[in-house]
Amino acid sequence: MDTELKRHLMIVGFGAIAAFIPRYFPMLFFTTRKVPAWFNEWMNFVPVSLFTALIAKDIFVTHDYQMTFSNFNMMLAAIIVVIVAYYTHSMLLSVLSGLVSVWGFALLLATFGL
Amino acid sequence: MKEQKNEPRWFTVMKVTAPLMLSYLPIGIAAGILLKSGGFAIWMIVLLSIAVFSGGAQFMIASMLMTSTPVWTITIMLFFLELRYVLLGTSLSKYLKKAKQPFILQFSASMNDENYAVNYLKFSTDKYWTPKDALGVEYYSLAAWTIGNIIGGILGSTITIDLPIVHFALTAMFLYMVTMQIKRRILFFPVIISAILSITIVVALKSTLGLIIATLLAATAGYMLEKSIKKRNVKSPMLSKIKGPKNTHEKLHSVKNVKD
Repeated sequence: MDTELKRHLMIVGFGAIAAFIPRYFPMLFFTTRKVPAWFNEWMNFVPVSLFTALIAKDIFVTHDYQMTFSNFNMMLAAIIVVIVAYYTHSMLLSVLSGLVSVWGFALLLATFGL
Repeated sequence: MKEQKNEPRWFTVMKVTAPLMLSYLPIGIAAGILLKSGGFAIWMIVLLSIAVFSGGAQFMIASMLMTSTPVWTITIMLFFLELRYVLLGTSLSKYLKKAKQPFILQFSASMNDENYAVNYLKFSTDKYWTPKDALGVEYYSLAAWTIGNIIGGILGSTITIDLPIVHFALTAMFLYMVTMQIKRRILFFPVIISAILSITIVVALKSTLGLIIATLLAATAGYMLEKSIKKRNVKSPMLSKIKGPKNTHEKLHSVKNVKD
């Protein structure tokens, strides 16, 4: 088997395991037991924190781990996405408006030499 | 279970899932294009879509394929990314207490953020909604997602895409999820903390492990703040809910009351 195929199969296999464990075991555990109150309250803060961490990294950290504050097109597009998400509650419209505006602002900023 | 109309139950469930299926197609196509340009074969994309079934994870795999990240790093990053399912599984578990163990296995394997949102809303507002219906929502959304990925995989070799721009699809998806989840004022606090910590720790460690550290610290900070506010004043405005546009959150709430 060539190495690339092997690598891809490993990614799929390990990815499936990594996705399965957090999906299955908590559900298995909590369908038979009561969820502790403190855990529930703490977990309320986990998704927003994780998603924000990912967003902040995408916009303000480059691929070689340098801090950057010059992705103006992404910052502006992020604002558009939040507004669209808030008013439409639609994931599709949010993602589409994000793609269109990040591309549009990149063009616009390039025209002005930023 | 009562049939509410003369249409078959699977059709009713599919109608409930339709908006989700429609929004999965283009995002699935984007994921398929990225995976294809990262070097994945189409059958591998199908396998991945069914086994992992997670937009965030598949975009992350695509971007890591291009930077030739080691497999173990990808696995750990995916695991931490998917840790959020602990929350989803825990909060749905109260509706599945009567389900058998093999069903839990089947159900949890195809759960993700969006079909969870549909099912949670249905379970909490529709008393005829069954675990079997919920599994239907998962499989219909899985089908739409996989088809989107296949189309993307086929287009992938013919279309060249601007990577940083398409990668923003993932960022936009996370922005959407954060916006949907900020339902109480206090949630702005962990958001701000998490953004600052994420940037500084990721840059300091030169590793995406910083994302997890930032998440755990910010969530704990939010939890501690809530506790200390509650201790002083249970009716503090910091703990109150945020009104949606045109009072959508309140509308959802009144729908629930009518059905109850």
